Amino acid sequence: MSQSVIEQSVAENIELPGYSGKPILTMTGVRGGYGDADILQGVDMQVSEQEIVVIVGPNGAGKSTAMKAIFGLLKVRGGSIVVNGTNIAGWKPNRIVQHGVCYVPQVDNIFREMTIHENLEMGAFLRKGDISDSLERVYTLFPDLKERRSTLAGNLSGGQRQMVAMGRALMLNPSLLLLDEPTAGLSPKYMEQIFEITRNLRDAGLSILLVEQHAKQALAFADKGYVLAAGSNRHEGTGQELLADREVAEMFLGG
Amino acid sequence: MPFMEFVNFYLMPGIVLGSIYALGAVGITLVFGILRFAHLAHGDLATLGAFAALGVVTIFGVSPWVALPVAMIFCAFMAIGIDKVFYDYLSERPKIIVVMSSLGIALMLRALVQVIWGVDTETYTRGIVRPENYWGIRIRDREIYTIIAMFAIVGVLWVFLQKTKWGKAMRAMSDNPDLALLSGVDNRKVTMLTWAIVGILCAASGFFLGINTELKPLMGWTMLLPMFAATILGGVGRVEGAVVGGLIVGIVEETSVLLIPGEYKAAMAFAILLLILLVRPTGLLKGKVL
Repeated sequence: MSQSVIEQSVAENIELPGYSGKPILTMTGVRGGYGDADILQGVDMQVSEQEIVVIVGPNGAGKSTAMKAIFGLLKVRGGSIVVNGTNIAGWKPNRIVQHGVCYVPQVDNIFREMTIHENLEMGAFLRKGDISDSLERVYTLFPDLKERRSTLAGNLSGGQRQMVAMGRALMLNPSLLLLDEPTAGLSPKYMEQIFEITRNLRDAGLSILLVEQHAKQALAFADKGYVLAAGSNRHEGTGQELLADREVAEMFLGG
Repeated sequence: MPFMEFVNFYLMPGIVLGSIYALGAVGITLVFGILRFAHLAHGDLATLGAFAALGVVTIFGVSPWVALPVAMIFCAFMAIGIDKVFYDYLSERPKIIVVMSSLGIALMLRALVQVIWGVDTETYTRGIVRPENYWGIRIRDREIYTIIAMFAIVGVLWVFLQKTKWGKAMRAMSDNPDLALLSGVDNRKVTMLTWAIVGILCAASGFFLGINTELKPLMGWTMLLPMFAATILGGVGRVEGAVVGGLIVGIVEETSVLLIPGEYKAAMAFAILLLILLVRPTGLLKGKVL
C-alpha cells in the first residue's frame, strides 16, 4: 500500500482492517542481561510500521529489560535485533539514536535543572542546523509545554514531566519510539492523555513499543501485544485477542 | 572602628581574596557536577598556572597581564593531558580511586613547580604598589582588575553554559548523565571541554593570588580547603553558588581577625564547611547532595 493512501486514511480517520506495514523492528531469539545472568532467554518480537505494540507481563518478566536490550543498554548475548533492515545488536545507544530509535526511560527521563525548551533542544543534540520544525511539532502535540517552555522541568507535575520526556525523544523524528511505562504513577486523567498522545503519534506514522503496567487499558488500543514471562515469550496476539484470552486474563491481567 | 576603615582593611581585601577563591571554586564545582569527583589537584594546578605566567614574564620580559592568557591556555592543555593519562584511565574504577589519584597529581604538580622554579618566594613585579584613593575607598589597581576579571570570566562561562550547544551539553551531563548519553552527547568531548575550562579557571585563580600576594609552591595547596568550602557553601554543581560561596569565604576570613587572632584565619574556611554541611548540606543554592 502506498504512503499516500495511508496518509489519506489517517486524514480521514478510516480504519484499515488487516493492514500490516513493513516491519520496523524484528527481534529474534534475543538473549541477554546485566552482568553474567541472562534475564532474556530468547525473546521474539516484531513491530511494524505505524503500530503500537504493548509488552505486558508480571514483574521481573523482562519487559523493561527487553526494551533496554533494543536500545543497547545491556549486553545482548544472542539473537538479532533488526531495525529498518539493519542488525543493531551490540550497537551503542548514541548510534542507535541516529538509526531512528528513541527511548524514554521509566525514571529520570528529564533534565530537571533545565527548562522544557532546553530539554527538547537536548533531544535534538545530534541534529545539525535548524530544529524549529521538530520543536513546532512537539509543541503542537503538547500545547501545555509550549506555554511553560521556560519552566524548569524539575518543577513540573508527573504528567507534564512525562510529556517533556516524550517530547525530548521525538525531537530526532524517530521511526521507532520505545516507551517504558510512561503512565507509572500518573493520575487516571494524565494516563488517558498519555495514551491518547501515543495513539496520535501512531496515526501520524510512528511505530511505538510500549511497556505498560496498565495492561488492560493499553491492550484495548494496541495493534499487537506480547506477554512475557520469565524472560521469554508466553503469548502474542492483537490487543483484543489477548484481552479475550482467558488464560492471559487470569494469569497476567488480574482476572 | 570607623566604617571606612572596615571597608578598606577588611571588606575590600575580603572581596579580592573571595574573587580568587571564587575562580577556583567554579572549577571545582564543574568537576564535581560533571565528572563527579572531588578534584584535590585543583590548588596545585592553580600554582602551576601562576608559575607558568611567571615563566612567561621572566623569559619574554612581558607584563604579567600578557602572560595570563598564555598561562590559561597552558593550564587548559595540562588539565586535558592529566585527564587523558590518569583520570580517564581510571574512569571505570570507583570514584574514590580517582579522588586519591588527584591527590597524587597534586603532589606531582607541586614537585614539578619546585623542580623548575625552586622553593623560594617569587613575585611578578618588584616594588611596592600604593593603593589609590577612590572617594575614600583605598584600593590597588590590581585588586580592581582581580574583581573585574573574576566577574568577567565567570560571566563569559555562564553565558557559554546557558546559550551554546556544548554549554548545554555540559549542564545536561551534570544534570542527568544517563539521559545525556541517550541523547547522543559524547561523554569524552564534554569531559575534555570541562577540563579545558577548569584549567583556564585554575590559571586565573593562581595568577590573581600571585599578583596580589606572592608566588610560593604551596600557594595553591593552602587555597584548596577554602575553595572546597566555597564550592559546598554555594551548592555543588552551581556556578553562581561557587561565586557567592567564594566571596563569603574570602570576606569571612579577612573580617574574622576582628574577632579572633589572625593565626586562626585559615580555620574559618573549615568552620564554614562544617557549619554548612551540618545545617544545609545542599548549599545556599541547592546543589547536589554529596
